[in-house]
Parts: sequence; C-alpha cells; structure tokens
Amino acid sequence: MIRIYRALLTNQIQIMSQYRAQMFLYVLFSFIRPIIFLAAWLAVADSQGGQLGAFSRSDLAAYYVVMIFVTHLTTSWDMYEFEYEIRQGALSPKLLRPLHPLHYSIVANVLWKGFTSVAVIPVAVIVAITFEARFTTDAWHVALGSVSLLLGAALQFLFGWVFALVAFWTTRVHAFVTLYQRAGFIFAGQIAPLALLPGPLQAIAYGLPFGYMLGVPADILRGGPDLATALLLMGGQVVWLAVAVVLYRAVWSAGLRQYSAVGA
Amino acid sequence: MGRYLRLLGLFVRTELQFALEYRFNLLLEIMQIVVVSGTSVAAVLILYAYTEVMNGWSLPQMVVLLGVFYMVQGVEELVFQPSFQRFMEHVRQGTLDFVLLKPVSSQFMVSFRHFQTVQTIQVAVGLVITLYGVAQLATVLTVGSAAAFALTLACGFVLIYALLLVLSTLAFWFVRVDNILALFWAFIDAGRFPIDIYPGWLRLTMSTVVPVGIAVTVPAKAIVGLVDLQTLGFVLAATAAAWLFSRAFWKRGLRAYTGASA
Repeated sequence: MIRIYRALLTNQIQIMSQYRAQMFLYVLFSFIRPIIFLAAWLAVADSQGGQLGAFSRSDLAAYYVVMIFVTHLTTSWDMYEFEYEIRQGALSPKLLRPLHPLHYSIVANVLWKGFTSVAVIPVAVIVAITFEARFTTDAWHVALGSVSLLLGAALQFLFGWVFALVAFWTTRVHAFVTLYQRAGFIFAGQIAPLALLPGPLQAIAYGLPFGYMLGVPADILRGGPDLATALLLMGGQVVWLAVAVVLYRAVWSAGLRQYSAVGA
Repeated sequence: MGRYLRLLGLFVRTELQFALEYRFNLLLEIMQIVVVSGTSVAAVLILYAYTEVMNGWSLPQMVVLLGVFYMVQGVEELVFQPSFQRFMEHVRQGTLDFVLLKPVSSQFMVSFRHFQTVQTIQVAVGLVITLYGVAQLATVLTVGSAAAFALTLACGFVLIYALLLVLSTLAFWFVRVDNILALFWAFIDAGRFPIDIYPGWLRLTMSTVVPVGIAVTVPAKAIVGLVDLQTLGFVLAATAAAWLFSRAFWKRGLRAYTGASA
C-alpha cells in the first residue's frame, strides 16, 4: 500500500506541476467568503457596542481567521470531477484497475491542500492583523482541534463523495450538489458561528452533519469551547463520520451494480 | 440599430430553443437559482436578528442591495459570461475568423452572441427581492431616486461589461485567460454586502479592479435617495471612461489577432 501511495504521489505531483497558476487560483475561494462574513458580523457587532453574545469583535475575527484554514483544508471538489469522469467515460478504465478510485482522490486532496496552504498562511496572517483577532487557544485546543479538523475534512470528503456517487444514477449532479452546499452555507458555520445562529436554527445545525465539518473544528481551534464541550462536539463528528462511511459504502456498491458507461 | 436588435432577438430565440431541449435540466437550474437566493436572504435575516442597523444599512435597504446583487450577477451570467467564454474558445481554436468575417460589428458578435436564458430567472428573482425591499423601506420612493436607481444600475452593467471585455481581450495576447476571469468570480461574491463594511484593501479592489462594489452598492443607495449629484456625476464619468477604454482596447487587441497557427 505504501508503494502504491508513493507512486500515486509522484503521479499527482507531476499532474499538478503542469497547472501551477491554476492550482493557486482556487485558493481565493477559500478565503473570500470567510472575509465577507467576518466583515458583516463586525458591522453587526459594532452596532451593538462591539459584543454579540459570547463573541467580542476579536473573537469573531479569530473564528473567521481559523475558518479560512478550516475551509481550505476541508474543501472537497470530487463531485464535480466524478460527474465529469462518468460523462466522459473516464471512469470505466479506472474501475478496471486494482485500486479503488477513492485512493486517487485522497492523494490529490492531500497534495493540493498541502501545497496551496503556503498561499493561505500569509492571507490569514494579514486578516488576523487587519481585524485584530485574539485567540484564546490553549495547547489542548490545538491538539484536539487538529484531530477535529481531520475529522471535519474526512466528513466533508466522504459526504462529497456520496453526492458525487449520485452521478451513477443521474449522470449530472450539479443540482443536488447545490442543495447540499447551500444547506452547508446556512448550517456549517460559514454565515455565522454556530453559537450565533438564532434558536431553532442552532438546534437544527447541531443535528445536521454540516456544522461538524467546518464550524466545530474552527471553534475548537480558536479556543472557544471548554474541554467537556469540545469532546462532546468531537463525539458528534465521530458519529457522523461513521454514518458517512456506511452511507458511502452502501451507495458505492449499489451504484456500481447499476452503472453502465454513458452511451452503452 | 434595428438590424442589431433583430439579430439580438434571433440569438436569444435560438438559445432559448436550445435551453428548452433539456426541460428537466432547466427545471433543476431554476430550482438552484431559487435555493441560492433564498439562502442568501436567510443569511441576511440571521445577521439582522442581532441588530436593526448594520453600518447605517437597515434591513429593507440590505434586502434591496441583495436584490440588486442578484440582478447584476444575473445579467452578467445571462449574456456576458457565456459570450466571452465562447469568444476565448474561438481565439484558442482559431475559429474567431468566422466571427470576424460576418458583416456586423465584431465587438457586438463576441459580446452578445450567447445567452444562458435560464439566468433571466435570476434577474427576475433579483428584481422581486429588490421590489420587496423597496416596499418595506421607511422612505417613500420618489421619481428622482427611482431614476437615479435605474441610471446607476445601467452604469453598473456597463462597468462590468467593460471590465469583462478588457479581460477577455487579453486572450489575443495570452490565449488562456480564463484564469483571470476566475479571479472576477471569486470577488463578485463580496458584492452581496455594501462595500463600506470591508477593510480598505478589499474595498479598493471592489470599487476599482472589480467594480462589483459600485455596480451593486451605488444603485442600492440611490433608491433610498442617498446618492448625491456629485457621486452620480462621478459614476457617469467613470462609466463613460471605462466604456471608451474597453472599446479602444478591444480594437487594439483585434489588430494583434493572427488566427491559430497563422
């Protein structure tokens, strides 16, 4: 397995180095939205004397600075790629290889996120300085938060794949992906930290998987919750991850059975 | 002029027929537009759950702004984006020759040839949101502010058109410029809020490099009578300058075109 992964790594690096500029371009999408909503929340906080519930101006800034990283490291784009592969027939030869297509995607994800982080760090620093972010992060926040970030990335990766697999039946998945992403827009902690969502929305958010992808790791890493709450939230992540794994396996095997190449 | 309008009608008709071939897909796209704008309104409502006024913007004003944002984005995706995308493909493949040979203005042909007709729905949704916001406004709509709104909105369209034309024209020299256009997509999202809430560097980018800020914020201010004559004059002058520059730039670029492999 290690040998296979080493081969995949070299292969992906070669592919990526062909499109160096493009590679960094998509980084923009990781930080524009967090900055937009940070600016909006600060305007709201200012109208209330600088404090919103448990959040001060600099707490909001810290949350969204971390959110830039979390968005970047958890983002998933496999649904678009998979749809393309099915439509163009590129999936069929991949299926004949003795390696599950998921592995290609894992390597591509790790590499892209790793390399492009170089561009994200300076932006995050600038934003942190501009908006005077203040982190209340302890050492254990970093330790647990890193695990939580991994869980969030895995969660988003697998759910992204489940939606990608819908293409087995429908060929096009754009409409479903939009629904999925807009639910995430509201409930994942992008438009507001989960703690600032008004009453019923907050309850719904903690019941859905989206918040566990972005909002939870971001809040732990900025040093928001206490230890008990953090562990509880991470428990939620583990539960949803288990659900995602089961779901992915079920949909994959069902989809594969009824898949026939486009035009066949 | 009449000939161009007739041509425009023809283009729209053929694109509409094309879109109607895939009716289920069309339905899904309409659903996406409704979901996206609906969730955006929800996001604004969540922000306003904590305040009455945000940086001087009341909720109805912000709703108007969001409506204008979707109108601007809708028009841009209705015609500019599909047309310029196709134009860049033409340059890459050398098929622009056939466009240039046609006995009409080549700038017209590359700018208004292709339509994503479903985006009319997005423009309509934007209009509905705008009108809803206007109905909630505390101030009464005057003829003057309505006229200023229409005028600045039109300026916004021209500004964005001029920017996209300039960016696309770069294809004559660099061939692959879709990346530069992607920059534009990333920044346009910031137009959903008034530019005055952003820190200096982003505000500057959005009012000069990517004039989305002007195209969205100024009309939304105009409709509540917050735009003075001086600003109006400035926007008009900037629009005229952008139009003239983009046109000259296009002509200059056209001279650099040699056809693929020529």
